[in-house]
Amino acid sequence: MTDRQPQSRTIMVVGGGIAGVTAAIEAAEAGYDVVMVEKSPTLGGRVAQMNRYFPKLCHPTCGLEINYQRIKKSKRISLFTLSTVAAVKGSAGAYTVTVKSEPRFVKPNCTACGDCAAVAETELPDPFNYGMKTVKAAWLPHTMAFPMRYVVAPEVAKTPEGERIKAACKIGAIDLDDKGDTFDLEVGAIVWATGWKPYPAANLTAYRWSDIPDVITNVEMERLASPDGPTKGRIVRPSDGAVPRKVALIQCAGSRDLNHLAYCSRICCLASMKHAAYVREQVAEAEVDVYYIDLRAHDKLESFMRRLQADPQVRFVKSKPARIERGESGGPVVCGENTLTRQVYAEPYDLVVLATGMQASVEGDGRLAGAYDDYGFVFTEGDSIGAGVASGPLDVSMSVQSATAAACKAIQLVSGQVVSGVRGQE
Amino acid sequence: MTALSPTPSKKYDLSFARWVYDNVDGGDRLALCMQCGTCSGSCPIGTQMDHGPRKLFMMIRAGMKEAVLTSNTLWNCVSCYNCVVRCPRKVPVAYILHDLATVAVREGYAEARNSDNARFAKAFWWSAAKYGRTDERLVTGKYYFSFGMAEGYKRGMANLPIALGMIKTKRMHLGMPHACKNTGELHKVLAKAAEIEARDHGKQG
Repeated sequence: MTDRQPQSRTIMVVGGGIAGVTAAIEAAEAGYDVVMVEKSPTLGGRVAQMNRYFPKLCHPTCGLEINYQRIKKSKRISLFTLSTVAAVKGSAGAYTVTVKSEPRFVKPNCTACGDCAAVAETELPDPFNYGMKTVKAAWLPHTMAFPMRYVVAPEVAKTPEGERIKAACKIGAIDLDDKGDTFDLEVGAIVWATGWKPYPAANLTAYRWSDIPDVITNVEMERLASPDGPTKGRIVRPSDGAVPRKVALIQCAGSRDLNHLAYCSRICCLASMKHAAYVREQVAEAEVDVYYIDLRAHDKLESFMRRLQADPQVRFVKSKPARIERGESGGPVVCGENTLTRQVYAEPYDLVVLATGMQASVEGDGRLAGAYDDYGFVFTEGDSIGAGVASGPLDVSMSVQSATAAACKAIQLVSGQVVSGVRGQE
Repeated sequence: MTALSPTPSKKYDLSFARWVYDNVDGGDRLALCMQCGTCSGSCPIGTQMDHGPRKLFMMIRAGMKEAVLTSNTLWNCVSCYNCVVRCPRKVPVAYILHDLATVAVREGYAEARNSDNARFAKAFWWSAAKYGRTDERLVTGKYYFSFGMAEGYKRGMANLPIALGMIKTKRMHLGMPHACKNTGELHKVLAKAAEIEARDHGKQG
């Protein structure tokens, strides 16, 4: 098959979202040792931050729980949280990867009892809730955290507050001298499942996300609708906490736009229709307007779109809104041209949700995969292996498929079937 | 100067659209328009246009030459450039409208030639080309009298108080029109520009 045998049969998976978790489990269950590297304190990634996800509108608790069980059962997966890849040397079959771990200040014997959080005073913006609420400086990242361990913020570790947090822990799990670590690992293949981040809504100046409180993004909407979110799942206007009666969902906010993201982010159309369904389920009298250029009901999900199109309280408006203005009452007014009727409109709303697109989360020097496409997504070719949204905009089920394929490619690399991208031919 | 644009002879005739793509300033990006409506929605006077840029661009594609070149959309653009900045496909909407307006005048469409904006633009260009400067009295005078002697006199008299006020506050002067230092050189530059335009119009790059 090949003239060169790989030196390491270990597979590294970078990123612990749904794609990284899937790739790691698939490779481990096929009999390969896997090292997972995750930047945040927990697995779960963006999926954990959703209320429900397609195709069956499951709560993420369900899908993650099954996968966490599989990780716990597997003896082959080692997990490094709060860690990033600092450097990659060597080539397929024999990589040396430098991993840098940030201090968590909490040891593995943590029982997640919460005594530390009870004495913490400093409040920090909660990244899990996109800053819509705060967390204490000793906190559990979210209810579905894996590992189920608290984190102490570096901001308080060396302060008297840190000492009080340490004193509150009855089992002595707080280690304020944790300095993190930098170490090298030998692996045979690397799967990049580094995921995505929402396109910054502040860049869309005409949509006024920065200065009109009732203009929010689609990821913020997911948190609003989530039972473990800042409002315990009640969809309300951020400005006054009132229930919105009239909601606008704006598609392609930053996507398909040469001034922002040139590509279609694929998932936003159905994500917004899911948001229309959230609103209609919670507020019986609510009217929802979906502003779109083109509707893309990908995969097998057209029936979901048809269901909403049949709802008389959901209106689809073919128009990319030109701008959002502040109305007399302070709320958002969506302005543009309805391209089917040629009517120029200015519609006031209680709540406007911008369907901001997906952007590759790793930029600049962090880009260590073998190849990237023009938009910054990992290009899977030879020994460059991308999984999930790191390889391009995908929904959860497609990410899982992509991750399974990535695990298969990684196995080919470390088992000597393929070396350095050359398919084994006689 | 330039060959006239082709008049579509049958349904689904793309000859006019292709001529616009090749000959109109910014027309090379017109084919990228995805009909999202950002331009017409961004337009501060979008409600006063018969079609608005988005629909006009679709009409170009549909070969509706007559309707395009008689549209008031070409003339009502105020060059605020909101559409140019916001267009997700970077179509230079305002440039296209301006150049289509000159096409409409050149091809002798009465609606275009007699439009207010065309008369004013003509008076403005006359002053700028002759003196290298615009002189308020000459531009307004030429514009008013383009409607005929009686109408020109009527409009002039109606605006006399404004003119006197401007003179009083030194916003308008009496005496010879302002001119640039060497109008002879300016005329040579403009003649050369016209020659280059006549020679290169329609050529790519």
